[in-house]
Amino acid sequence: MSADLAFTGVIDLARMVARKEVSPVEVVRAYLDRIAALDVTLRAYITVCGDEALAGARAAEAGLMAGGAVGPLHGVPVALKDLYDTAGVRTTAGSKILADRVPDADATVVRRLREAGAVVLGKLHMVEFAYGPEGLNAHHGAPRNPWDGAVERMPGGSSSGSGVAVAAGLAPAALGSDTGGSIRIPASLCGITGLKPTYGRVSRAGVLPLAWSMDHVGPMTRTAADAALLLRVMAGYDPGDASTSVLPVPDYLAALNGDVKGLRVGLLRAFFLESATPDVRAAVERAASTLKDAGALVDDVALPAVGHVGAAAYAVVGSEALAYHASWLKGRSADYDPDVRRRLQVGAFITGAHYVRGQQVRALVRAEVDAALVRHDVLLAPATPLTAPRLDERQTTLGDGPSDVRSALIRLTRPFNFSGHPACAVPCGFSTQDLPIGMQVIGRPFDEATVLRVADAYQRLTDWHTRRPVLA
Amino acid sequence: MDAAFDVETLRHAARVAGFALSDEELSRLQPAIEASLRLLATLDALPLDAVEPTTQYRIL
Repeated sequence: MSADLAFTGVIDLARMVARKEVSPVEVVRAYLDRIAALDVTLRAYITVCGDEALAGARAAEAGLMAGGAVGPLHGVPVALKDLYDTAGVRTTAGSKILADRVPDADATVVRRLREAGAVVLGKLHMVEFAYGPEGLNAHHGAPRNPWDGAVERMPGGSSSGSGVAVAAGLAPAALGSDTGGSIRIPASLCGITGLKPTYGRVSRAGVLPLAWSMDHVGPMTRTAADAALLLRVMAGYDPGDASTSVLPVPDYLAALNGDVKGLRVGLLRAFFLESATPDVRAAVERAASTLKDAGALVDDVALPAVGHVGAAAYAVVGSEALAYHASWLKGRSADYDPDVRRRLQVGAFITGAHYVRGQQVRALVRAEVDAALVRHDVLLAPATPLTAPRLDERQTTLGDGPSDVRSALIRLTRPFNFSGHPACAVPCGFSTQDLPIGMQVIGRPFDEATVLRVADAYQRLTDWHTRRPVLA
Repeated sequence: MDAAFDVETLRHAARVAGFALSDEELSRLQPAIEASLRLLATLDALPLDAVEPTTQYRIL
């Protein structure tokens, strides 16, 4: 497979397969070859499903040749963060505790992808139990951010393998999960597109949780259009997940008309742009100008309550994560990554009153974001205030002062996990060190169509998302 | 709970939460717990009495 095909998007691959311009077997085999050649260095995959993927591709090819119905992802390979249950394939959550866990059923979204014709390439690397934004993992090592061949840099997490696989052409699309930014952070650091849908838009049944009230699942792709196609397949009510909405799922692709004329875009300056490093701030301001030049109405917006999200979300996530992990912490604490274990254990010292305080702040933040989105169609902000830190970097300097790297990475994404609003990270430039910069487009609840429309329109006007890392 | 306390207090709090942590584990956790409590204390200072807590977005 040529590098061009490895970087062909989902929509184009699906079209090429449907027109019999390329065989699904050829595509899957080529991706498997590429994974074999590059993943020794990149470490994006925990489990490669070679035989299963080839069998799926052969079945897709046979179905096509027999003239059967063709789903929107027929023969298109996808990869899954290793917390999506896959029937017969181990699902580890990047942990030692679940190292040999083999589910007997697919997660709802995995089943929906397969029903649409997708072929699962494998299970992707992640932070243990999705608890961390850097992309580090004591059991498996960190996936390598493909954008720096000289210095090992963080891929971002917790969907680290998903970010690396899509950025490096080891999968045309991946699924991630996002509790505080775990789709958008690796998307930002790896230079790809990552969509966190509205809470309740996509089923989490069969996806291992970190914190139920903050967990979202979504697609990670190279373009907003590809994310729109995947979301259409993934979204919708699921009796297996009580949080899912019965609202109908729109045709997100149909909403992508490239037009932002008259759209009201609120640029989040205080807390968001102001905390960004100079490279990131300049890139996001240029992106706002690009949208303005295309006819959008851009003005500044402030969300004062987001300053309290750090403490409030900590109370919520710490409590919910502890509840999920309590029995393992008592019986198998030595099997955790020490850093993950420490953070889970500290959750035992969060009181019920603090949890409720956190939920009170959530009400404030949600109301504030809702109010801003009465006056605006979308909000715009950096996805991360900095580009990919070095793997050993623990402290950094942001636009508003020093910060530990972990807090910095999660600072601008977590407010919208807390509020539940949809947010899509897209590449919007490169730093002076040639590292990708990401911004996020935030929208009204269940209005992913407008979020994706703005993201797609921006990608029609720019070429940041088409750039590829140089791989040895 | 005060942000500065001894291992005995920590042991008691851990036991109430259902965890039997060793003194060594508690000592190792102590800085993180103190940082956690300092962060949580900022929530206590907010004027939230009139705000009804919520969990997640309007589920339709």
